[in-house]
Amino acid sequence: MTAAAVRTTSRNFVPAAVGAGTLVVLLLLIELLIRIDVISRFIVPPPSEIVASLWRVIVEEHIFRRFFLTATECLTTGVMITVLGIAGGVLMHRFKLLQQACETWVAGLAAAPVVLAYPLFMVIFGRNAWTIIMIGFVAALPPVILKTIEGMAGTRKVLVNVGRSFNLTATQQFWKILFPAALPTIFVGVRLGLIFALINVVGVEFLINYGGLGQLINDLAERYDLAGTYAAICFVILVSVLFFMALEKIERWLRPVD
Amino acid sequence: MALAAAPTDAILVVDSVVVQFDTAEGPIIAVDDVSFKVRQGEFFSVIGPSGCGKSTLFNVIGGLLGHHQGNVSVGGETISGPHKSIGMVFQEESTFPWRTVIDNVAFPLELVGMLKAKRAERARHFIKMVGLDGFENRYPGELSGGMRQRVSLARTLASEPKILLMDEPFAALDEQTRLLLGDKVLQIQQQLKQTTLLITHNITEAVQMSDRILVMTYRPGKVKRIVDIDLPRPRTSKIVGSEAFGRYVAQIWNDLREEASRGMQDEEAHVLHHESNVS
Amino acid sequence: MVETGRLRQAAVTAPVLRPVTLLRVAIILSVLAIWEFLAQSGWLYRDVVPSLMAIGRALIKLLTQPYYYYNLGITAAEIGAALAIGGLSGLALGIILGANRFLSKAFENYLYYLGPTPKIIFFPVMIMWFGVGPESKIALGTLSCFFPVALSVAAGMRQIDKVLIRVGTSFRASTAQMVFKIYLPAMRHPIINGIRLGLGVALIGTLLAETKLSNKGIGFLIIQAYGIFDMPRMYAMLIVLFVLAVGANALVGRFGGLHSIKRN
Repeated sequence: MTAAAVRTTSRNFVPAAVGAGTLVVLLLLIELLIRIDVISRFIVPPPSEIVASLWRVIVEEHIFRRFFLTATECLTTGVMITVLGIAGGVLMHRFKLLQQACETWVAGLAAAPVVLAYPLFMVIFGRNAWTIIMIGFVAALPPVILKTIEGMAGTRKVLVNVGRSFNLTATQQFWKILFPAALPTIFVGVRLGLIFALINVVGVEFLINYGGLGQLINDLAERYDLAGTYAAICFVILVSVLFFMALEKIERWLRPVD
Repeated sequence: MALAAAPTDAILVVDSVVVQFDTAEGPIIAVDDVSFKVRQGEFFSVIGPSGCGKSTLFNVIGGLLGHHQGNVSVGGETISGPHKSIGMVFQEESTFPWRTVIDNVAFPLELVGMLKAKRAERARHFIKMVGLDGFENRYPGELSGGMRQRVSLARTLASEPKILLMDEPFAALDEQTRLLLGDKVLQIQQQLKQTTLLITHNITEAVQMSDRILVMTYRPGKVKRIVDIDLPRPRTSKIVGSEAFGRYVAQIWNDLREEASRGMQDEEAHVLHHESNVS
Repeated sequence: MVETGRLRQAAVTAPVLRPVTLLRVAIILSVLAIWEFLAQSGWLYRDVVPSLMAIGRALIKLLTQPYYYYNLGITAAEIGAALAIGGLSGLALGIILGANRFLSKAFENYLYYLGPTPKIIFFPVMIMWFGVGPESKIALGTLSCFFPVALSVAAGMRQIDKVLIRVGTSFRASTAQMVFKIYLPAMRHPIINGIRLGLGVALIGTLLAETKLSNKGIGFLIIQAYGIFDMPRMYAMLIVLFVLAVGANALVGRFGGLHSIKRN
C-alpha cells in the first residue's frame, strides 16, 4: 500500500472506531443505569438480557422458518415488481402518449401511503400471505417503472444512432442497445423497489399478525416477553440492514465504469 | 527603477510567513518566508504565476488559514482569525442567491446589529458607489457576473474595513468588464483613500492600479521583488498607453516569465511522474 | 390545402381535445365502469367492491360528520407533533454531521443504513415507553421522520457552496448567525425535500400505529370500519386520506418551488 493509501484508511478507521466505540459506551451506560434502577427494567430490559434472549428466540421461535417465510414473500414481490415494473416502463417508453398520460400518476402512487390501505387488502385477500405480497407489490412497483423509463430515455443518442447505422430492426434495437444501456438505472429502480418491498412486507406482517419475522415481533410483544421483543426487533433490523448493504454491493458491481 | 523604500506608517505587517501543507505526495511549502508591509492608503498588489501560493497568502492575511508560521499584524495587533479591520472579496461568485442586492450589501451591518433603517441607508450608499443604484431589490440570479462581483465588493465596503483584501476578484470576468470594473475600483479606492491589497495574475491590472507590486516566485512562494510604481495619481485606464506604464509591465513580465515557465516545467514533470507511477 | 391545415391546427390548440387528456379521461372512465360492473355483478363477496353510489354516499356522510373531523384533528395533531419533534431534531443532527467531517464519518452511516427499515416494528417498545395514548403514536412518527430529515440536511450541508461559508467567516459571524443567516437559507431545497419525505413517513408511521392500537384518530376509524365490515365507509376514508396525503406532499413541494423562482 502506498503511503497515501495508508493515510486514507487510517483517516477513515479512526472515526469509524469512534462511532462504534460510542455505541458500545452507550449500551454499557444503559446497562448500568438499569442495574442501579434509574431506568426500570420493566420498560427497558438490560442489553445483556436482550443479547441472551436473542439465542433463545432464534432457537425456540423457529427463526429460520420465519426468515424463510418473509424471504419468500419478498422474493415473490420482487419478481412481480421486476417483471411487471420493467414491462410497464418499457411499454410507457414505447408509447409516448401512455407515458405522458400516466407517468405523473405513477409518481403520485410512489408518494402515496399504500400500506395504510392494508385493512382493505385484508378484506380482499384475507389475513394471509397474499395481502402481504400485494401491498408490497403496489408500494414497490412505481420506482421500478419510473427508473425503467428514465433508463431507456437516458440512452445516449449516439448509441441509438449506431444501431440505426447497422439497420437493426426495432426488436434488435431494443434488446441489443436500449435495454442493456438502461440496465444500470433499471437496477437502481429494482433496488429501491426491493427496499420498499421489504419494509412493507415486514411492516404488514407485524400489523396483521401473520407471516414470518414481522409476526414474530408482534407475537413476542403480545406475550409480554420484553427481552424477546427487543431481541427480535434488533434481529429484524439487522436482517434489513444486511439486505440493504447486499443490494448496494450488487448495484456497484453491476454499474459499468463510465 | 527604484526598489521599494521601507515604509514607516505601515498598517499591515506580514512577517516571515511560512505555510506548509500535507498532501498525498508529502509536505509541500506553499508560502516560504514572505515578509512585507503595506502603508495606510496604499494600493498594494501581489502578483505571481499560478501555483505561487498567492491565494494561500490571501487566506492567511484574511485569517481563514490558521496553521502557519510567522505572523500578520494589523495596526500593531497580531491577527488570530478574521480581523475586523480586514474586509475580503473572494474570487468566486460569493453573493447570497437568496438575498436581494440590498440585503446582500447590508449583511455585515446586520451581523453587528445595526438597525434596519440605518442599514438600508448605509447599504444604498455603497450600492450607489459601485454603480448599481436601481438594482437594490433585484436578486443576484437576475444580474450579470460583473454586477454580482460589484455587489460582493459593495458588501465588503459596507463593513468599512481599514484594509480591503481582494483575491483576483475579476478573474472570472471578460476583459472589457474587467477593465471597466478595474476603473471603478480605482475610483473608489482613490475616493475613500482605502488601503487595498490585491492578489492578481494580471500584470496590466496590477501596474494600472498599484502604488507598489510584490512579485512572487513559483512554489515555494517567496518574495522575488517589490516594485515601486511611480505613476501619477489620480489614475484611470487611460494610463495604459503611456511609455512608463509599458516599461513597468515589461519589467514585471520579465520576472514573471521566469517563474511562470518554471511552473510549467514543474507541472509537466508532475504529470509524467504521475503517469509512470500509475502505469 | 390551406383549409385542412387550419382545421388541424385548431384541433391541436383546443386543450380539451388533446390526446393526453383524452387518454386519461378514457382510462379513468373505464376503471370506474369496470368497478361498477364488478359491484353490480355480485361475483365478489358482498361489499368488497361497493357500488360507486354507496361509496359516494359514505363519502358525503363522512365529510359531514363532526366525529370524523374530531378524529382527523387528533391524527393531524399527532403528525404535526411528530414532524416538529422529529424534524427539528433531524435538522439539528443533520447540521452537526454536515458541518463536521469527522462526526459524519463516525456516525452518519448508522443513520444511512437504519433509515430504510420498517419503523412500525418499534411500536411495542413505544407503547412500553409512552403508554397507549397519543404519545406512543407521536413517538413512532418522530422515529420515522427523524432519519430522512437528518440525512437530507447532512447531505445538504456538504453541498453548500463553500465560498458562502467563507464569506460568513470573513465577516466574523457567530455560530448562530452562520446557522440562521447562511446554512439554513443555503439549504432551503434539501430542507424542503427532507420535510416532504419526513411528512410522508411520519404520516404513515403515525397512522399505522393508530390502526394497531388506539381509540382515536383516522387509523382507529379505519380499523373500526374494518371490524364492522362497513366497506363503503372504509373506501371513503381511504380516498380522503390519500387525497390529503398526496395533497400535503404537493403543497410542501410547491412551497419549496415557489421560493426558488427568482433565487436559484
